[in-house]
Amino acid sequence: MLELDGVSVDIAGVPVLRAVHLHVPPGGRVALIGRNGAGKTTTLRALMGLLPARQGRVTIDGREATALPAHHRPRLGVGYAPEDRRLFGSFAVRDNLLLPAQVLKLPAAETARRLEAVFGLLPGLRDLAPRRAAGLSGGQGKMVALGRALMVGTRAVLLDEPFQGLAPALAQRYAEALKRLHHALPEVSILITESNPGLLRPLVEQSFVIERGEISRA
Amino acid sequence: MAGWFSENGLLLGLALLDGLSYAALVFMVAVGLNLVFGVLRIVNVAHGSLFAIGAYTAASLGLFLSARGLPPAAGYAVLLLAAVLVGGVLGPVIERGVLRRVYGQEDVLQLLVTFALFMILEDVQKLIWGVQPLFHDAPMKFLGTVDVPFGEDVIPFTAYQIFVVPGVAVATLAGLAWFLRRTLTGRVIVAVTTDKEAATAMGIDAAKVTLLTFTFGAALAALGGALASPTTSLVPGVGAQTIVLSFAVVAIAGLGQIEGAALSALMIGMGRSIAVYFEPELEVVVPYLIMVAVLLVRPQGLFGVVETRRV
Repeated sequence: MLELDGVSVDIAGVPVLRAVHLHVPPGGRVALIGRNGAGKTTTLRALMGLLPARQGRVTIDGREATALPAHHRPRLGVGYAPEDRRLFGSFAVRDNLLLPAQVLKLPAAETARRLEAVFGLLPGLRDLAPRRAAGLSGGQGKMVALGRALMVGTRAVLLDEPFQGLAPALAQRYAEALKRLHHALPEVSILITESNPGLLRPLVEQSFVIERGEISRA
Repeated sequence: MAGWFSENGLLLGLALLDGLSYAALVFMVAVGLNLVFGVLRIVNVAHGSLFAIGAYTAASLGLFLSARGLPPAAGYAVLLLAAVLVGGVLGPVIERGVLRRVYGQEDVLQLLVTFALFMILEDVQKLIWGVQPLFHDAPMKFLGTVDVPFGEDVIPFTAYQIFVVPGVAVATLAGLAWFLRRTLTGRVIVAVTTDKEAATAMGIDAAKVTLLTFTFGAALAALGGALASPTTSLVPGVGAQTIVLSFAVVAIAGLGQIEGAALSALMIGMGRSIAVYFEPELEVVVPYLIMVAVLLVRPQGLFGVVETRRV
């Protein structure tokens, strides 16, 4: 579903990813483990087209996407929940969730269906829907960011360090939500980054390790 | 106090009415500047040139058309037409041709580029319209004056400056607030302003939004100029004065604040105009005194929100 083939990415002239290979099969759940600064976020941003690949190929759903502009990638069914949530603070939670679907000009009925599906998977969001995103707690914000990614991520979601900074009880709930997601929508691939190797073990089928911009199989 | 008022009441009334109309014009420019900064993250010094060119275009068009028998009432449509023309042509040319090349570059470079642009446009304006004052007040004369009761005095004041100019500003304020909060295009602009990368990852074409926002902001500045044109003789330098006051308004209000910009524009407009009537030598300095006073107490502006820095 998602593939990086020998991809190198520089940021401000500094090589951050060095000819990395990464493969996430359809419906697969894959972890990318690495320390801070190892290149986890850069890997996800390269997949989303937010950083250009200096060399190598990016493939999304069997389609060559290396040169595909970033804003076209969600159209391929890829949702992205960046680190640190990055919600639109002045919008209500509902509008945060709806925005990607509206931007893609999905039919209203389909948008409503997806919103209901997200509420079904992440029950807490229904009550939060009318609230301003800026007023959410960290844990609530992570759930909203996951929901927002799922509104377009019908084929794959990229989750950047979702457990970072979550209290254990909240991390537990987030992990349960991911299990529910996999159960309800087994066709959706999940790529999830984390610095703690043990944490994701029960949630994924496969792990990759990233160190100083190089990815290897765990 | 009562004695002061009976002596100076008329002056104060005039100052407030003048201030209102001036504030409305400054608001039109400042709100566009604010919008453009939010999306482009560039302080566009050349924004004032768009005000000036809007004013000159409106006056020229007005003179040209009224010489050909255009009824005076249609002069208001001409003001709007001038704004659309200037925004619609210069907006895309400047954004696509110049600014797009410096996105994400150092602030100093961006500032230099927009300053250079300002100088170029100032000269283009002199090339086209010369340095002799240009005057076309038909749209203002057409509505005549109204008698505004003020204390024991009655102040005759032009209806255009009391109703049309502030009316357009209020309509802009309300329309913009509605547009940004209630329409998808508006929300997309706010999303890009808040977080360009996150917005892009949601499928938003940031380049398109940038072009749209810049053009829209340019048209607002040009509309401000067009509205101002019947009230004054146009001379070189009108753009510089406007942009500097608009910076003060944006600084006082805080970034991204539309209603706040309206209130700040009122403070600046009234403050400046009271100075003009009572202590003319302070005219230039009063807006900055207000700005400095506000920023000393609230560095993020009256209505600004402190943003946590993202690393």
